Amino acid sequence: MDSDSATPAETVRKEPLFEASTQFRNWRFSPEGLARIRERLNDVAVAAIRNTFEVDQPGSSSNVAFLDANEEVLLVKLYLTMISQLCAMFRFPEEVEATAVSYLKRFYLKNTVMDWHPKNVMLTALFLATKTTNNPISLEAYTSHIPKTASSDVLDLEFLVAQSLNFEFVVWHAHRALWGIWLDLQSLPDAPANLSPSIYDTALNHVRASRLTDAELIYSPSQIALAAFSMATPELALQWAQSKFSGNESNGLTLDTIFPVLELVKTMILRDGHAPKVDAVREVDRRLKLCKNPEKVAGSKAFVAKQVEEERKAEEKRNKKVSEAQKEQSDPFGETIQSTSLVDYGDDDD
Amino acid sequence: MDAVEKANEARQKNWIKDRKVGEGAYAVVYQGREATTGRKVAVKKIRVGQFKDGLDMSAIREVKYLRELKHQNVIELLDVFSSKTNLNLVLEFLDSDLEMIIKDRSLVFLPADIKSWMAMTFRGLEFCHRNWILHRDLKPNNLLIASDGQLKIADFGLARDFADPGYKMTCQVITRWYRPPELLYGGRYYGTAVDIWSVGCIFAELMLRIPYLPGESDMDQIKTIFRALGTPTEEDWPGHTKLPDYVPVGQFPRTPLRDLFTAASADTLNLLNKCLIYEPRKRISALDALHHPYFFALPYPTHPSKLPKCSTVLNRPLDEVDANVEMNATGPGVKATSKGLKRKLASPTELKARSIARRLDFSKAPPSSP
Repeated sequence: MDSDSATPAETVRKEPLFEASTQFRNWRFSPEGLARIRERLNDVAVAAIRNTFEVDQPGSSSNVAFLDANEEVLLVKLYLTMISQLCAMFRFPEEVEATAVSYLKRFYLKNTVMDWHPKNVMLTALFLATKTTNNPISLEAYTSHIPKTASSDVLDLEFLVAQSLNFEFVVWHAHRALWGIWLDLQSLPDAPANLSPSIYDTALNHVRASRLTDAELIYSPSQIALAAFSMATPELALQWAQSKFSGNESNGLTLDTIFPVLELVKTMILRDGHAPKVDAVREVDRRLKLCKNPEKVAGSKAFVAKQVEEERKAEEKRNKKVSEAQKEQSDPFGETIQSTSLVDYGDDDD
Repeated sequence: MDAVEKANEARQKNWIKDRKVGEGAYAVVYQGREATTGRKVAVKKIRVGQFKDGLDMSAIREVKYLRELKHQNVIELLDVFSSKTNLNLVLEFLDSDLEMIIKDRSLVFLPADIKSWMAMTFRGLEFCHRNWILHRDLKPNNLLIASDGQLKIADFGLARDFADPGYKMTCQVITRWYRPPELLYGGRYYGTAVDIWSVGCIFAELMLRIPYLPGESDMDQIKTIFRALGTPTEEDWPGHTKLPDYVPVGQFPRTPLRDLFTAASADTLNLLNKCLIYEPRKRISALDALHHPYFFALPYPTHPSKLPKCSTVLNRPLDEVDANVEMNATGPGVKATSKGLKRKLASPTELKARSIARRLDFSKAPPSSP
């Protein structure tokens, strides 16, 4: 059909909404793909930090025990559990918590804990999530309830977090999908008369456990939700799935293709869906103190060197701008009175 | 190291800002282009440093929704990058907006033209609503017009997802003249119908060429609406007297739309009427509007490329011309209005032959608005 035509109804097509989302397009991986990304990030970080150590003092990196990719994941996981604690304290809606958890996971698919400690990133991710889910609170109210936290601890990383998320703020959540299944089930023609709310609560707890796993980076929210529901009540999950998929095989989805996937999700939830052992994480965090990127540690030699270099570049740019402005001034029609306003530092971001 | 920052820098380099075309309290709009392709774009630079709570809600909303929405009738967000304390949104370049076109007295609208703009507005809006997004600020100057005539819904700074039933939303949204009565009465639980009311007002404005319901204050807005459409009865709009800010403003009789819109067809008035039903739940949905007989009756909608185009840029008084613009450049931009931040860019090179003829007619007096 002619796409330029102004006849109204023709662009009303049925594309599954989820498939148009940034989550579907940019934030789904295979388990192997995830592992590769994390290993590559870890390799690059270790090589760069080793180099920084060596520049500072040759030979100094040889006895540093850098973190490996799995240890990084473990540390991040601890801070995923802390998001839940903070959200409970602030009484944030579930959407805020789930969104912040997704942000923290996505952040560490672009960054390493050796550069950015999850303690700070977690605070920024949560604050950003309050805003992106339309539950904003003032920064002051936020930081004043979190011990030893200044405004700058939250705001300094906001751009970095937003950039790492690729400014893609919308997250589709499994707990919403679960709610949908629960509502659907009640309107089935042969719906069981006594649906106990405890079934839903049990399933919701499985969804919450899934947040501590990689499930959302691999499976769709509906797959996670159905798996969680199936863990709570296999019979009802099957009944719901049958109502959805019988006579609707045209989209390639059948019970035979879905249930094996559910098993994978369940296995993952049961295996990884719990808080990490504190001792193990403490050990990782102890080693992190010794192997984190010195360029990010205020006061270190490498940090100062980087600052000096950045200041030099900024100075260079300012000088260039001033000289350009002066050049313009020599224009016979130019204004000479407003010489200062010609240099607009605020607009300089080339 | 810092692959993320490097990626940001690479993005930043890909978009070249050519000149400032609008400035508001929070943002500056530039006309620019893509370094690799030369494609024209608008760059909206939002100053974030000044906000004590970091990235502000309106910037976040705009980025959040436009990142997800890709539709012919919704403005396209091409890229986002940060620079120092600024957030930069790279948006598709759009020549003008519907407000400029409505106000351009040199243009004559045919019923088919109005039908085409309405079809594109409803398509874009149906797409937003299908994605569970309320726009909450529809008005003619948020409906931008591309050089090929396509209409694009823009400015998602007040947009939000629908709340679950029973979850309160603010009623302080939508520019007054386009705000539905349920919001004026302080309704905190509402839905897609609020946007439909706005579209109804825009529909009427396209026919009248002046704002349909221009109230002078929120209170006067209610009165203005009732004066035009009659004071609703309990039967028209059950429960409205129980809304939080309800106040009786007097009894006005309902005058038939036909009395004001004398030239409109029955289908036209039927659709307009359905957009302006008091009871929000009875107001037509965007999807149903697209299937309304109005769109299938003669005359068929004008092809977007054949729609009337804004020519005001050619008649702009010289003192508005930015001193830095070379006379042979593509032409000066139109300054954003006081509320600002619209990507009102003009591009005479895109205009069709008849406009060029007018442009070369130097005998014509510059400002043409009477």
